[in-house]
Amino acid sequence: MFRRFFRHIKEGFIGVGRHFGMAFSSSASVTIALFLVGLFLVLTYNLNVIAKDIEQSISLSALVDYDITSQTTIDNLKKEILNIEGVKEVDFRSKDDEFTFYVELYPDVKEFNEYYRDRNPFHDAFLVSVDDGTLLQDVKLKIEKINGIDSVHDGGSNTYLLINVLQKVRIFGGILVLALTVLAIYLIYNTISITIVARDTEIWIMKNVGAKNGYIRAPFLVEGIIIGILGSIIPIAAIIAIYLYTYKISSGTLLGVFTLVEPTPFLVYLGLALLGISIVVGFLGSYLSVSKLLRNKR
Amino acid sequence: MIKFKKVSKTYKNGTHALYNINLNIEQGEFVYIIGKTGSGKSTLIKLLDGEEIPSSGTVSVFGTNVGKLKNRQVPLYRRNIGVVFQDYRLLPKKTVFENIAYAMEVVDKPKNEIRARVKEVLKLVGLTDKAQTFPKQISGGQQQRVAIARAIANKPKILIADEPTGNLDPEMSNEIISLFERINKEEGTTVLIVTHDLQTVKNFPKRTIQIDSGHIVRDLPNGLKDEIIPSNIEADDYFDTTAKLYLANAIKEDNKNV
Repeated sequence: MFRRFFRHIKEGFIGVGRHFGMAFSSSASVTIALFLVGLFLVLTYNLNVIAKDIEQSISLSALVDYDITSQTTIDNLKKEILNIEGVKEVDFRSKDDEFTFYVELYPDVKEFNEYYRDRNPFHDAFLVSVDDGTLLQDVKLKIEKINGIDSVHDGGSNTYLLINVLQKVRIFGGILVLALTVLAIYLIYNTISITIVARDTEIWIMKNVGAKNGYIRAPFLVEGIIIGILGSIIPIAAIIAIYLYTYKISSGTLLGVFTLVEPTPFLVYLGLALLGISIVVGFLGSYLSVSKLLRNKR
Repeated sequence: MIKFKKVSKTYKNGTHALYNINLNIEQGEFVYIIGKTGSGKSTLIKLLDGEEIPSSGTVSVFGTNVGKLKNRQVPLYRRNIGVVFQDYRLLPKKTVFENIAYAMEVVDKPKNEIRARVKEVLKLVGLTDKAQTFPKQISGGQQQRVAIARAIANKPKILIADEPTGNLDPEMSNEIISLFERINKEEGTTVLIVTHDLQTVKNFPKRTIQIDSGHIVRDLPNGLKDEIIPSNIEADDYFDTTAKLYLANAIKEDNKNV
């Protein structure tokens, strides 16, 4: 069992060495595809984080009825809001806090401030943040139904548009990464197919002396994996270098607002993910092409 | 040992390759299968090694119904059969020794056994001194001997050779057929040679089965030993003429019986 396992590994390495040109061109196609996969992974992941940040910074402001003043009722309202599915955090802001906040925000409109100091028009309020931007509307409707809540305010229709766009960007990024992975598999499948057709004598001999399909397939799978791994070296190194450079020159923020993901441990995971993808791509590419050839001959 | 019972084969594209073939070959026999190109010889071999399934009838080898084998059973069955082809099909990047050993490696034979057996077959085919050379460094006849050594490395019960002398000059051809004779005698292997090479068939007379248009037209226990073959005749012309003669005789016989 072990002897056979090591023989397959050995044959796989020998195969790569003996058909170096073919292995090289297969690796090159993996390199190109994996570079694109990596690039989109970085972009999608960063967009995801930025989107999450934005979504989490969007909060609802639930205004409490003027006639509610007892601390117990306020505490109960807070509990009730916290119990709603999707609510992450609830902060109480008294109407005095709200007034002070406003005054600090607009120190220039002094007369107005003076006039309203004793006639505070603000409500006591809860600042409600949600787990996921898509839940915002839902949570808003539920809070509005609570007795003792005057009204709930969000950022208006633009907030929902933004959430919608972010959601679409994320889905699009995910699809792109998936599509590029499939493309990589197709590329390696094609190149390995050529190398295998060129080696049909070898497969013919194996078949004729009574080797089982699994035995015939094994060294080719090892070869596929080696080709995949070889093809992943350059894109992994390049993407890490590009990211580190971008992070350095931008001091970790893009356009002064969006924070880039910290290089560690992000780049380690990214490298491992790309390595994993390259192994899967190499394995599947070989598996598909050898199986196709084996199916043709009983 | 090998039994074809009312075997017919029609390919998916509609080609009728064999019609109602009945054939018995016993263990240890040496048989030539002759016939012109496209007569059905290759189909006969493919049915025998399980690559093709008969459209009707049964092919049984060592009591196994070959057509009924499941795909995953074919490799194990095939270990009983060695095949040699006209174009040798050696792996150019492996040495002579490695080429032969390869056939044993893929069926998981232990290293010691592989080493001993490869030496044994190399001796049998007379290539002990060429063990470490590569195929392109040796002659066509020697390459064919390596292919034969590889085919018998796993001690198959049947050895099939498809035009083994097709690429060789008469002297080499004789050497190769002598080698088959030795394997047949020394290892007790049943040998089936598909060939166009009339001279070889005449020089080494053995049971000879002639196929024409998918039918067995002659089964000669003593081969072509007593046959007078014009020296300048093309093999296909000879096969054509003898097949027609057989057909004429068969019709004559039929008429007599009526």
